[in-house]
Amino acid sequence: MIALQLVVNGVLLGGTYILLAQGLNLVFGVMGIVNLAHGAIITLAGLFTYWFATQTHQSPLLLIPAVFIVMLAVGAVLQRLLLEPLAKLGRKGELLNLMVTFGLSYVLVETALNLFGSQYVSLPDLQTTWPVGGLAFNEALVAAGALGALISGGLHVWLHYTASGQALLATSQNPTGAVTCGIDVRQMRGIAFALGTALAATAGVLLILILPLSAPTADTLTILSFVIVALGGLGDYRGAVMAAMLLGLVQSAVGYYLGGDVEVVVPYLLLIAFMVVRPQGLGHATR
Amino acid sequence: MAPRLQPLNLVILIAVIAGLGAVPLFTSAYVLQLATDILTLAALAYSWNIISGCTGYLSFGQVSFFGIGAYATSVLVLRTGVPWYLAAVIAAAFSGVVAALLGTVMLRLRGIMFALGMLGLARIIVVVASDWNFIGAAGGLTLPAQLTPVAVYLAMWVAVAGAFALNYFVLHSGWGLSVIGVRDEETAASAIGVPTARIKTAAFIMSALAPAAVGGLVAWNRSFIDPPSAFDPSLDLQVIVFALFGGVGTLWGPALGTLVLVIVGEQFWAYLPDLQLALYGVLVIAVVLAFPGGIVGIANRFGWLRRRPVLAPATLSTVSRPPQAPPPGDGPIIEVRDLTVRFGGLVALNGISLSVRRGEMVSIIGANGAGKTTLFNAITGFVKPSEGGVFYQGKSVSAIPSYQRARQGIARTFQIPRLMESMTVWENTLLAARYGKRGGDAVEQAAWALHTVKLDELWLEPPSKLSPGQQRRLEMARALALEPTVILLDEVMAGMTRDEQAEIRAVLRHFRELGVAAVAGVEHIISAIADISDRMIVLDRGKKIAEGRPDAVLRDPLVIESYLGKVS
Amino acid sequence: MSGGNLRVRGGAIFAPLIAAAVLFAAPAAYAQKPIVVGASISETGPLAVDASYHLKGIQVGVADANAHGGWLGRKLELKYYDDQSNPGTGVRLYTRLITEDKVDLLVGPYSSGISQAVAPLVNKYERVTPMPGASLPAIFQPGNKWAFQLLPPATGYAEGMLPMTKAMGAHKVAILQAQLSFTLACGQARIDQAKALGMDVVYSTTYAMPPPDFSSIALAIKNANPDVVVVCSYYPDAVGLAQALHRINYAPRFFAETIGPAEKQFEGAIGPIANRIISNTSWWPSLKTHGNAAFIASYKKMFHEEPDYHAAGTYAAMQVLGAAVKATKSLDQTKLRNWLATHEVATVEGTFKTDPNGLSLKFGQYMFQIQGHKRLLIWPTAVAQGKPQVPYTGQ
Repeated sequence: MIALQLVVNGVLLGGTYILLAQGLNLVFGVMGIVNLAHGAIITLAGLFTYWFATQTHQSPLLLIPAVFIVMLAVGAVLQRLLLEPLAKLGRKGELLNLMVTFGLSYVLVETALNLFGSQYVSLPDLQTTWPVGGLAFNEALVAAGALGALISGGLHVWLHYTASGQALLATSQNPTGAVTCGIDVRQMRGIAFALGTALAATAGVLLILILPLSAPTADTLTILSFVIVALGGLGDYRGAVMAAMLLGLVQSAVGYYLGGDVEVVVPYLLLIAFMVVRPQGLGHATR
Repeated sequence: MAPRLQPLNLVILIAVIAGLGAVPLFTSAYVLQLATDILTLAALAYSWNIISGCTGYLSFGQVSFFGIGAYATSVLVLRTGVPWYLAAVIAAAFSGVVAALLGTVMLRLRGIMFALGMLGLARIIVVVASDWNFIGAAGGLTLPAQLTPVAVYLAMWVAVAGAFALNYFVLHSGWGLSVIGVRDEETAASAIGVPTARIKTAAFIMSALAPAAVGGLVAWNRSFIDPPSAFDPSLDLQVIVFALFGGVGTLWGPALGTLVLVIVGEQFWAYLPDLQLALYGVLVIAVVLAFPGGIVGIANRFGWLRRRPVLAPATLSTVSRPPQAPPPGDGPIIEVRDLTVRFGGLVALNGISLSVRRGEMVSIIGANGAGKTTLFNAITGFVKPSEGGVFYQGKSVSAIPSYQRARQGIARTFQIPRLMESMTVWENTLLAARYGKRGGDAVEQAAWALHTVKLDELWLEPPSKLSPGQQRRLEMARALALEPTVILLDEVMAGMTRDEQAEIRAVLRHFRELGVAAVAGVEHIISAIADISDRMIVLDRGKKIAEGRPDAVLRDPLVIESYLGKVS
Repeated sequence: MSGGNLRVRGGAIFAPLIAAAVLFAAPAAYAQKPIVVGASISETGPLAVDASYHLKGIQVGVADANAHGGWLGRKLELKYYDDQSNPGTGVRLYTRLITEDKVDLLVGPYSSGISQAVAPLVNKYERVTPMPGASLPAIFQPGNKWAFQLLPPATGYAEGMLPMTKAMGAHKVAILQAQLSFTLACGQARIDQAKALGMDVVYSTTYAMPPPDFSSIALAIKNANPDVVVVCSYYPDAVGLAQALHRINYAPRFFAETIGPAEKQFEGAIGPIANRIISNTSWWPSLKTHGNAAFIASYKKMFHEEPDYHAAGTYAAMQVLGAAVKATKSLDQTKLRNWLATHEVATVEGTFKTDPNGLSLKFGQYMFQIQGHKRLLIWPTAVAQGKPQVPYTGQ
């Protein structure tokens, strides 16, 4: 029974990780850059959700569609202003792209600090835990996992079965080829970053129900998302699902048997191990 | 070309710096402490500059070496009674050893993965340090409380001077060109003989020394060290911003960036304390988008602080080199036996056997996708054969890495020129000449190579100012600078004007006088090479379909069909 | 001509008058020179919110002292800088306060980390410094002569939990601690205490900060089935662990977490899960400690809100400094230091008394419990406001 609950915990944790990471994956897959502001976006959205819920006493879930749409626009604007100028550098702009998102993350964190303070906050919503058999399933965790699955499934359908999604996939696999097919690569980049931002923000709305968030610790989320995405193979959203699950299960087991301090380093140890043994990650990314 | 620094100017520069440096000694303890902190950050910025600015490996690892140095120094002082300044030096050496070991794992990764790895490493180190009783675990270590601010300040200067010296070495020495080469084009660097793994490791070790030393000095100065203060991640951010602002990858950038931002920062934060992080962020973005060269980049536009090209003679025309005879021996220079290369499900080369014989020029042609570049990649070691073997002068090269093959005499050019953009034409060639097979004077070799391809007048231009044809000629110069036994030219004629083609053809006609034993050229512009080739080989979809004298091959119906399709 | 003569003579008369005035005024001016108290506060950076209470406590202390005529007939003045929650900056600022501003008295900074960085400095410069932000025993070891602990030591946090629960029939204990020196010291002390009381430590672990996911640790706790769970925590881990226990439908009979639950937003953060969680505190408004009622009144008047234990700590630091200054009638650091090392002072936080290395010996430790929307002091029974509610149910 303990073992089963461990598995349940690991899967639920993996669900949270998927929610965290997919936005980052999309941006890397299409644009080849890692958005170091990812954690800041998640945190800002989470803190905003906290503020909304405590001011209006409404359910934070109401924010999900609104945040998604608003952040699509915000992401598109950010991409056009900050990243598009570097797009012409191609592969050589990697360092510069990182620096820009690095700078952006600090601007966002400071905004969060000024608007919402430096303290940890969380919300007591979706706290019911359902007993099923002898196992416990917590509402917030299940919701996070469900949203993560929805996002991953939605990505899969969109990327493979719609014209716009296929255009995005083509751009990520071969930008030059995509241009010759008449795909507006610039628009694709804008869409990818907008989506990535929107997904990150949406993750933040749910995340505030799962663990305490604070502006100064936003970068821990970036690093964690990073690790998941790298484990899965940068840009490979199916790999990311596998990696999230693997990480969730391993962390669950290690935390149980070896205690809290080893649990914390599991993501980084796994990452380093993978990078040495299988740098392309769990998936089959074509980049 | 920027003038060489006159000895008098150097003396004045040192005097000014010494004067400025002495000021804090005569003001207050607070200013002294501030100056010490500035020096700490400058040393870290310089070290970051080496691995990230000059080598191109974005690192968030300065703080790890800082902490390692802080702990090593503290442990030495507490347990062996070694004086603190000596302990800091030993800690720096220790940190270098750690970097060498870490590098074997970390440096296999590129780009963002390396950055990620260093971040993850920092987190792991903190957890380990918090648990390890030998170094005080989470409680940290307390050092004897002695007030030695002046001595610490002077020691900091030594550390900064050391970090500066390392930067100078990287940016102004022939060896340092290898580092820049790795940053600009790691693959091409390998093709001209640069031992990229060793260079990266050396740069990584160099970047670990100063942080450890200053870590030790800070620990001594504060008489206390514990995991959070030893491994403070905000140090990484600050240091990166300073180097970026000053001018990443330059000699004076880190110092200027640190000085300006700390002093300006101190004033700013007093007025706008709630915007500190945001201002750092905006600064980073502004620098990247608007002036990526930082302060030094701006200064360069006014002609100041320009980097002097490495080892450049006063003019090229005075340097000459007599022609060499090609190396003696018999048997084919290059032989490929039953070579098969697969990429996943795609078979790029299918059991190919061919050879490049001594004294001949072979052209290799074929429709797109025939496998020509893959063939070259297999010969030079950039692609691993799935089956079959490559032999150079009779010996198998399968165990020899690409940079070694270049050094042993296999030179190549690239289909799309891969030139080191931040070096001049001269330095690109000089870099290759340093790894020349016969180990002669690199400056002479490089000058001769440039002269041979008639790029003398453009020798101090950056590759970006060259036309496509000139860039290809530079690729050829690089190959020649290696003093190779065989040159593999990958579509060298593409993008050249008729005149340029004529010049290259003249060079190729006399390759034997250049000391080259054989040439193999992949070409699409068949008219340009057909009459100067001794033999022609045709590839089609990974197989050899024709071989022989060029005029016979070109009339072969199979060859025509492979290009134009079957005429029914 | 005669005017010029007059002027000169007038000037000649004025000069001695002016000189006399200056001479008379000088001691008076000297007597008006304020006593400057210096500190660095984390006004910005991650610690900013809690540090603001730290600052307010000092400000109330200064205001109260001035309302009573100051010390040694001189008014008090506060000089502080922002250390941006950064130990390096803190060291620089205290260097400045000591060597440039030459303040008369010092108060320590907010966090343990910055306190730890500053302690060697005040020892090197031989300046008396009460440290209301340092609960770590590590600072107050042989070799430290000038820093004085103004908080109960970490080893005493939640020390009432085990005896209290044992008296109610508890026997099996789980002890968790964050991997920072304060919480580790606290946790180890609790483990030792459990063994001394003959209670069975059935589970124990440390966890690094920022805190990991607690679901598997919660499961391990459930598996060990303790009666009492004591967590030496800060804030996010206190929240995280409480949530994690709830998410596997497990509630130990007694549940205590340090520090986190004392923050005002704790109940808001986890809602009904917080009900009946026990936590520790070094100060409580209902306590009849020396000057407490007056302190609360002054604080409310100045800041229109209730003080918390951070403010109480710095106010106590001012009380201690005041007592030393008045007793020695001087600002001489050595005299102050020797007096503080050998005397007790009654403060809002209880009795200040340290061992020769500055480690506090007598500050009170109390425990409170969240009961519905209220927080009640439940231990020691002599000052308790109510009885502990048992068991913890997580709702």
